Amino acid sequence: MKGTYLGELEELVLLTVGILYPEAYGVGVMDEIEKQAGRSLNISAVHSVLTRLEEKGFLTSEMSDPTEERGGRRKRIFLLTAAGKRALEEAHQLRTQMFNQIPKMALQFQWV
Amino acid sequence: MKPQPPRWADRFLVWYCNPILLEEIQGDAYELFYRTAKESRRKASLYYIWNVLRFFRWKNIRRSRQKNTYSSFSTAMLKNFFIVTLRNFMRQPVHAALNLFGLSIGFLCAFLILLWVSHEFSFDRFHSGNNTIYKILAHAEVEGTYQTYDLAAVSIDVSSIPEVENKVTVIEGERWPNALCFRPEGKPNECIYLNGIYANESLFSIFSFPILEGDTNPLKEPTHIAISEDMAEKLFGLEDPIGKVIKIDDHIDVTIAAVFANAPVNSTLRFDFAMPFSIIKKLWGTSDGQFDSYAFTTYIKTTEGSSADVLTQKLNTPLVLSEKFRKQKIKYQAYPFTEWRLQNKFENGKIAGGRIEYIYIFVAIGTLVLLMAVINFVNMATARATTRAKEIGIRKATGALRGSIIFQFLSESFITVLVAFTVAVLLTQLSLPYFNQLLSEPISMQWYKGAIPFYMLFGMIVVALAAGLYPAFVMSSFQPVKILKNQMSAQGTGSDRLRKSLLVVQLSISIGIIIFSGVMYQQLNFITNKDMGFERSNTVRVEPTMRIFNNFDALKNELKKNSSIIGVAASNSNPLKGEPNINVSWPTKPENTRIAFQAIGCTYDFPSTIGLKLKEGRDFLAKTQDSLYNEAIITEDAVKTMGLKQPLGEHINVNGNDCVIIGVVDNFHTEPLQHARLPVVLYRVNDAHCSAFYVRYQPGTTKQSMAAISEAYKKFEPSYTMKYWFQDDSFNELYKTEITASRLILLFTIISVIIAIIGVVGLSTFNVMRKTKEMSIRRVFGASMTQVLTLLSREFSLVMLIAVAIAIPAAWYVANQWLSGFMYHTPMPWWLFPVSFSAMTLITLLIIFIQGLKTLSANPTKVLRSE
Repeated sequence: MKGTYLGELEELVLLTVGILYPEAYGVGVMDEIEKQAGRSLNISAVHSVLTRLEEKGFLTSEMSDPTEERGGRRKRIFLLTAAGKRALEEAHQLRTQMFNQIPKMALQFQWV
Repeated sequence: MKPQPPRWADRFLVWYCNPILLEEIQGDAYELFYRTAKESRRKASLYYIWNVLRFFRWKNIRRSRQKNTYSSFSTAMLKNFFIVTLRNFMRQPVHAALNLFGLSIGFLCAFLILLWVSHEFSFDRFHSGNNTIYKILAHAEVEGTYQTYDLAAVSIDVSSIPEVENKVTVIEGERWPNALCFRPEGKPNECIYLNGIYANESLFSIFSFPILEGDTNPLKEPTHIAISEDMAEKLFGLEDPIGKVIKIDDHIDVTIAAVFANAPVNSTLRFDFAMPFSIIKKLWGTSDGQFDSYAFTTYIKTTEGSSADVLTQKLNTPLVLSEKFRKQKIKYQAYPFTEWRLQNKFENGKIAGGRIEYIYIFVAIGTLVLLMAVINFVNMATARATTRAKEIGIRKATGALRGSIIFQFLSESFITVLVAFTVAVLLTQLSLPYFNQLLSEPISMQWYKGAIPFYMLFGMIVVALAAGLYPAFVMSSFQPVKILKNQMSAQGTGSDRLRKSLLVVQLSISIGIIIFSGVMYQQLNFITNKDMGFERSNTVRVEPTMRIFNNFDALKNELKKNSSIIGVAASNSNPLKGEPNINVSWPTKPENTRIAFQAIGCTYDFPSTIGLKLKEGRDFLAKTQDSLYNEAIITEDAVKTMGLKQPLGEHINVNGNDCVIIGVVDNFHTEPLQHARLPVVLYRVNDAHCSAFYVRYQPGTTKQSMAAISEAYKKFEPSYTMKYWFQDDSFNELYKTEITASRLILLFTIISVIIAIIGVVGLSTFNVMRKTKEMSIRRVFGASMTQVLTLLSREFSLVMLIAVAIAIPAAWYVANQWLSGFMYHTPMPWWLFPVSFSAMTLITLLIIFIQGLKTLSANPTKVLRSE
C-alpha cells in the first residue's frame, strides 16, 4: 500500500482540487496553483501528481463531456474523496498544532 | 483554419502514450496549445513539443499487454498454425518447393564453406599447448627489402630466453633424404617410398603425435627410428614392428623404437618416420661442424602467456643472434605456429596474407549466397501475401491480436527454414565426399562434433528471423475491414520498392560472382597455357639412384632406341621449381649485392631436352671444349642483369664453378607466375651431381614411352621401383590453391545463379498473376503479343540496370585485387562483363516471357469473365 504521507506539492494540488470543485482537471489545477501560489508547474508534473493522488485514494476521477477547446476531447475531472478530505484536515491540523508550539520568543525578530 | 500542433510531436505522443491515458493527456496538451496559439503560433508549437516530451514518463508509456495475451498461445493455436503452413504448401507446391529448394542450397553452400573454413582454422590446433609453440622465421635484408624464410640456424642458442621451454629443429623435404625407399619384409626388390623428417629429441614432447607403442623418447638414440602406424602396416603388416632393424638407403641400419599415431589431416607437419640427426649426417656425409652451420625449420615451445613480440625481441639479442648473422642483416621473428597455415606470405618482412585471402573470399561468397536465399524467401512471402490476406482478416476479425499474427508468420518461417535446414544437413552429409574430392583434401567427416553444430543452429535462427520478421510485420499490419471488403490493393503488400531493391541485391550478387569466377578461370587458363619458355608437357621427371647415374650413358642409349623418345638429360634442379640462388658472380658485379639467379647444373643435352631456344652462341656439346673452365649458357634476362655487352666468352662463377659463357637462350620462367621471372644460368655438371633425369617424348606416345622408360629403368636398377612425376602434374601442383579455389567458386557460382533464377521465377509469376487482367484487357483492345510482353519486362529492366551498375565496379575491384597477386596475369577480360550481364538478362527475360505467354495463350474473355 502506498503510504498516506502527503508531499508538499501533493498537498497543494489536493487543496486546489478542493477549491476548483466541481471543475478540477489538469490544466485548471495548473492555472490555479500559478494564480494562488505563484508557482508555474509543467502540466506533466501536475498530471503525475494527480494520478499519484488518485492511486493513494485521495482523489477519484470521472470523464466530462467533450469540449471544443480540447479538440473534442474529454476532460478528466478530479474530486476529493473522504480519505482526501481527512488527509487535508490532518495535514492542516498538524501544521497548526506544530506552529502553536513554537515559543513566542522565537517569533520575535525586533532585536535582530 | 485553426492552428494545429506539430504533427510529428502529436504522432510521437500517440505512439508512446498508454491508450488509457491518451485522451486526457492529449486533451490537456491541446488545450494549452490553443491557448498559447492565440499569442504566438511558434511559441505554442514549442510549448506543445515541450509538453509532449515532458509527458514521456514511465507511467504514461504504452506497455505491452502480453500479460493479457499469454493465454492465446495455446497448443491448439500452434497446431492450427502448423496445419495452415502445411495447407499453404499443398496449395502452391511448386512455389513452396522452389522456395524450400532455394533456401536448402543456400544453406548447403554456407555449410560447406563453414566446414571448409573451420577445417582450415583447425590446422595445428590439436597440439596440446598449441598457442605456446612458435616457428622461428628469418628475415634477411637483400637490396633494401626483406626476404622471409622459415629457417633458423641449427646452432641457434635460445637458452638465454627464460620463456623458452624447448626447441626443435626439423628437416623437412620432398626428396632424398626425406623421401626414402623402404623394402617390405621379404621383398628385397620392391620399394615403398615414404616421406619422413629428421629432428632432435624434443620433437615428440613439443608436438602431440602420440606414441602408440615403444619408447616414448625414440629420437634419443642415434640409430633409432620412429615410424607411423601407416608405415608399420605397409612394411610389416600386422606384425609387431618394435625392435626390428631396417636399412636406410640400403646401407644404414636403424632400429624401430616407436610407432606413433598417424598425423591428423589438419596438421601442417606430416611425416611417416622421424629419425635423429646422426642418420642424416651420415647420409649427407657432413661433419658436426658443417651441420651446425646449416639452417632448418625451427620451433620453440614457450611458457604460457609469453607474447610473440617479446620473444621476437629476445631472439634478436646478441646472445641468440650471433655476430655472423647480424653482419648478414638477418633478423629473427617468433611466429605463432597455428597461424602459419593461413598466413604464410611475407612481403618485405611483413605478413601479407596467404590462404586467409581465400577464406575471406569464400566466407563473403557463402554469406552472400545465403543472403540471396533469404531475400527469395522474403520476396515470395510478401508477394504472396494477397492470397493470405483473407485469412489474416478473418483471424483479426475473430479477435486475433497483432502479436499472435506475427507469431504465426514467424513460426511459419521457422518451420520452412527448419525443413530447409534439415534438407541442407542431409545434402551436406551426402555431398561431403564429392566436396572433399573437389578440394582434393579431406575435411573431417565428423563435422557434427565440436562447435560447428552450434554455428549451424545459430545461423538457422538468424536466417529464420531475417526471413520471417519483415513479412510477419507487414502482414500483421493489414486492416481487417479493408481486407474483408476487398479493398486490398492488388499490389500485394509490403512496399514494391523494397521487393525490387532486394531483387537488385540478388541480381548484383550473382552477376558479381559470375564475373569474378570468370576472371579466375581466365587467369587459370592463362597460367596453364602460358608459354613458360620451355617444354613441360610430355616430360617425365625420374628419381635416379647411384646405379642409374653410373650407367647413365647406357640408359640414354637404351631409351633413344625408341623413336618416341626425344631426349634424356639430367639436372640438379627442376626448371619448374624456382630456387633463387645468390651464388652467381661476374666480373662487374658490385660488392655486397645479393642478386638472385636460378642456377641449373645439368648434363650437356639438358637445354635441348627441355626445348630451350638458342639465341646466340652454341649449345653444350657432348665433349667439353674447354678443359680449364666449365661452360655456361645464360638467358637474356641474365645478360641484362649482369649488364654484359658481349656475353659470349665472359667468365662467371656459379656455385664456386668458374664458367665461360658459351651461349644465350630465350628467357624462361622457373618461378610460379605470382613471382617475377628469375635470370637463369645453366652450367654443366657431372651426372652424379644431378638430382633427377628428365625424359621428353613425342606427344601422344605417353603409354609406350612410359613402358620403355620403366623397362630401361628395370634393366639398370632392378632393385628399385621407379619413382617419377609428370612435369605437367608438378606444374599444376604449383597452382593447387588457385585450382581448388576456382573449382569451389564454380560450384558457388552455379548455386548463386540457381538461387537468383528461383528469385526471378517467383517474382515474375507473382507479377504476371497480378497483371493477368490488365494483360487480357490490352489484348482485347488489340495490343500485340510483343507489346504486352514488353510491358511485363519493363519493370525488370530497371532492376537489371541498377544491379549491373552495382555489380560491375564491385566485381572489377575484387577481381583486380586478385589478379594483382600474380606478377604475370591476363588483362582484365572486359568481354566478361557484358557477357555475364546479358546472360543474366536473357535468362530473366526468358522466364518472364514464358510465364507471360502462358497467360496470354489463354482466351482473354475467359480471364475477364471469371470474376
